[in-house]
Amino acid sequence: MKNFAYSRPARLDDATDAARQENTQIIAGGTTMVDLMKIGVLAPDALVDISGLSALEGYEVGTNRMRFGALAKMSTVADDQAVIDGFPALSQSLWKAASPQLRHAATLGGNILQRTRCPYFRDTAYKQCNKRNPGSGCAALDGGVTNLHAIFGGSEACVAMYPGDLAQTLVAFDAEVTLEGPGGTRTIPFDRLHVLPAESPEIETVLEPGEIVTEIAMPVVPAMINSMYLKARDRESYAFASASAAVGVEMDGDTVRDVRIGLGGVASVPWRATAAEDSLKGGPLTEETAREAGRIAFKDAEPLEGSAYKIPLGADVVAGALLTVKSRMGDQ
Amino acid sequence: MAQTINTRVTRTDARRKVTGTATYAADVMPAGMLHGSLVCSAIAVGTVSSIDTSAAEAEPGVVAVYTHETLPDYKTVKGFYAGGPGSASFWPMEGTEIRYAGQPVAYVVAETAAAARRGADLVDVTYEEGESRIHMTPEDSFVVGAGEDSDGMVLTKGDIQAGLDAAAQSVDMTFTTPFQHHNPMEMFSATAEWRGDRLTVWMPSQSVRTLRAGIAGAYGLPETSVRVISPFVGGAFGSKAGITPYTMLTIAAAKGVGAPVRLIVTRPQMFTVATFRPESEQKFRLAADANGKLTAFEHIEIAQTSQFDNVVNPGTHYTRAMYACPNIHTEQRLSRSDTNTGGFMRAPNEMQTFWGLESAMDELAWKLQMDPVELRRVNDTKTHPTAEVPFSSRSLMESYDAVANGFGWADRGRDIGSMTDGDWLVGYGCATATYPTNILASNARVRMQATGGAYVELAAHDVGTGTYTIMAQIAAARLGLPVKAVDVVMGEADMPVAPISGGSTTAASAGSAVHDACVKIGQQVAARVSGMSDGPLSGIDASRITLDDGVLRGPEGQSQSLQEALSMLPEGEIEMIGEFRHPALTDELIAATFNGGYGTAGPVTPEFAMFAFGAEMAEVRIHKYTHEIRVPRLHGAFAAGTWLNRKTAHSQLMGGMVWGIGSALHEVTEVDQPRGRFLNANIAEYLVPVNADVREVRVQMLEERDDYVNPLGVKGIGELGIVGTAAAIGNAVYHATGQRLTSLPIRMSDLLRS
Repeated sequence: MKNFAYSRPARLDDATDAARQENTQIIAGGTTMVDLMKIGVLAPDALVDISGLSALEGYEVGTNRMRFGALAKMSTVADDQAVIDGFPALSQSLWKAASPQLRHAATLGGNILQRTRCPYFRDTAYKQCNKRNPGSGCAALDGGVTNLHAIFGGSEACVAMYPGDLAQTLVAFDAEVTLEGPGGTRTIPFDRLHVLPAESPEIETVLEPGEIVTEIAMPVVPAMINSMYLKARDRESYAFASASAAVGVEMDGDTVRDVRIGLGGVASVPWRATAAEDSLKGGPLTEETAREAGRIAFKDAEPLEGSAYKIPLGADVVAGALLTVKSRMGDQ
Repeated sequence: MAQTINTRVTRTDARRKVTGTATYAADVMPAGMLHGSLVCSAIAVGTVSSIDTSAAEAEPGVVAVYTHETLPDYKTVKGFYAGGPGSASFWPMEGTEIRYAGQPVAYVVAETAAAARRGADLVDVTYEEGESRIHMTPEDSFVVGAGEDSDGMVLTKGDIQAGLDAAAQSVDMTFTTPFQHHNPMEMFSATAEWRGDRLTVWMPSQSVRTLRAGIAGAYGLPETSVRVISPFVGGAFGSKAGITPYTMLTIAAAKGVGAPVRLIVTRPQMFTVATFRPESEQKFRLAADANGKLTAFEHIEIAQTSQFDNVVNPGTHYTRAMYACPNIHTEQRLSRSDTNTGGFMRAPNEMQTFWGLESAMDELAWKLQMDPVELRRVNDTKTHPTAEVPFSSRSLMESYDAVANGFGWADRGRDIGSMTDGDWLVGYGCATATYPTNILASNARVRMQATGGAYVELAAHDVGTGTYTIMAQIAAARLGLPVKAVDVVMGEADMPVAPISGGSTTAASAGSAVHDACVKIGQQVAARVSGMSDGPLSGIDASRITLDDGVLRGPEGQSQSLQEALSMLPEGEIEMIGEFRHPALTDELIAATFNGGYGTAGPVTPEFAMFAFGAEMAEVRIHKYTHEIRVPRLHGAFAAGTWLNRKTAHSQLMGGMVWGIGSALHEVTEVDQPRGRFLNANIAEYLVPVNADVREVRVQMLEERDDYVNPLGVKGIGELGIVGTAAAIGNAVYHATGQRLTSLPIRMSDLLRS
């Protein structure tokens, strides 16, 4: 790790000013940033530590809207009873991520910006990585191991997978993010925060230099109550998803009024299965329709040799999450 | 006096370890110590064209940057598989040659560890890259030595074809196991300090005598000039056995800079600078008559090896010991690829081979429509099938019966997929565990004082298993002292010879030497007090006085406590050297151990075959939607002679079984074939079981007496628990799903692909 300048501003505008400087990175919980600096993937000249901006730690679970400050800790939100009761998928997608130690340190704002776990990105001995070293190629696509790679959203330049869990819940429930930058404040839909790799996988978000995620918010909808995050992984805990689904269902009698499906462990960016949602709306939720929704969700997947298993796995995870939510509704 | 053997004794060093006061090798900081850091090769095969060290040398705090051209007085040793103490025969930084990815190419010394790492990042190496291949090619395999050689690398008994022809059912299956790395919690480290021609090396080691002999030999120093210190080891599992380049580079660097240097190897570097479990292929042809009696047993193991060593870990020698069969053929084969040399990793001969054997036995049982436990019973034998000597003790079926009873084996569904629980498919599986009883020469010094304390000293190692505690127990039992009155010191090469902590030998071999020293203390004290003019043992023939539980007893019931007898001696204490020299140890083997080598006898001697046995049963659940494979229950029953410490032995067996869960479902070093590198060289992506993966693990410890293995009747258990676990789990997956998965680890992607 090379030496770097460090500042911890007490005011948001000082932070954005500092963060807009050349080769400067923002750090909050540090669970990704410090890791990537230690392994030489990132080598910033300066770090702007925003953990002193205590105004960003708060959150509010309202009746019409939920809003979370970007510095709220993963563990705090995961363990909040109002979140557990009112939006189980959100709580579950937080506590099924990482380890207790990491969840106590990591923030929501940092979590949604988590970098890929693609091994070729993380090991600087590989010359080829378009994300780390633009224009150098992609070792994964050049005969590499691809069992952890994206089957949605990849390009010829990059097939790295977005590894997070929380983002799948946010994308499924129409979250918005507020960004504070040198040019002022803007609020954008969460599904516009991340960008597909296309030709430029080094660009992962629409964040401008100096822009800081300050808040994540979403409207409260009935489907939140009957929601869950189902995560499939080879190890029971502390492992990234092989496939996951954040789902929420609102029924009107035997008819699906609203349904939300976000997919994890399968795409370059947080992924919403809109076609699968549409297939269920206005109809019954049965084993058959749930399985059909799973198939539709993965209809357009583009697997690599190592990642083909994610198609049947992802389809079953979607179906399983929908049917589990449905059966719990029956219990109420 | 309370019983000290075959009881539960808490580790004597437990408090020191949990309070951080146990001093591990890398905790030592000699005055003026500098810090080392390795630069490792980014390519797998080729040559170093040039190394630009200028940026690293300009980095504040950097003291020296050594390359193959500038490292002074760098010495190497012969590799283990060529009969030496080294982990490999090829030594990096002797020239420009690169033979495996992650091989050291430069060594940075700096005032702080951080500056050393920064310096290492700034070393700019240019390579000429050649073609590499990291996976072995089994079709290009070969046998070490020629044909039916004396080491039994190829062995034929009877006629396999005749056995196949006579069979009612047969299986012909190939199983594979991946590269795996030990990943001990404690990182590899070496700290070297030169004072003139005297050298001290602190490093976690499984064999301090090997280290000392190798280093002294390399530098042409008398062994008395080299100290090697390894008081505690935070896990080794075979990875800290041989002398590796990081040690010899650190010793040379310390000489070069004229100051002590400490190197702590990083976790990713630990995947390339030392050994690992080579990948393997296990080919089995088994055949049986309608009653399940084996008529043919063929096992061909093909294991990966480096381009410069023949890593022969002869698993076929142990599979062929398992079941009675008139027609047996085994072959031990190797296939080369571009890696560092592999080596020993917990049950290095047994884990892979019993995954194959016990899976194939299960398949055969299904074909025969036979209870797999009964298939083992039908083929159980009290005679080694190829060596044709009796087992010194063998409690295989006792183990099966004990574990089956507690597990509820009889309640299993008889058909595939017949057991479910909600969204989970349920399956049961079983497998045999075994481990050879290896024997090494050992000495130990024991000093007892009339005031009621004793000291035990030997060059053995506590690799985290509880050796300090069991050595104290062995002495306490004979000397009649509380365990806490016995102070054990170990882990220095200057101490009395003890074997490598490998092959599950320390408790049995080094423990027997401690026992012998205590017996000798009894004999010596008896001789002294019987010659005195008064006292309860005065005038008795000393050869007829015995020592047990701290009491000297004459033939007619005369007795005196050892402590009292000692107080009659003017010295008030006595010190004896104990020796363990099993009859199977030849002079050559004894000499090898005393010279820092590995003089192992057994498990087969001209009289007996010596093995510990056990049986494991697993319940596996596979989720209908997530396809996750979980192990809610894993039971094992084991018989291994005398249990010294029921608490640490239980932990050893349980630890092996937990690792077995990992080998079955999680552990694999991924390979990037085009660039010849290990891919997941960190413990975030190299999965091992976490607490949530380890549910009910039950260990039953059966009583067994074996008077042949050693005076204590102890068999090694450090590796027994992992053997068979993967097969028990794989067999349970088959019972649940009907899918016979033949490659480890078994992952959800495998269930979905097949």
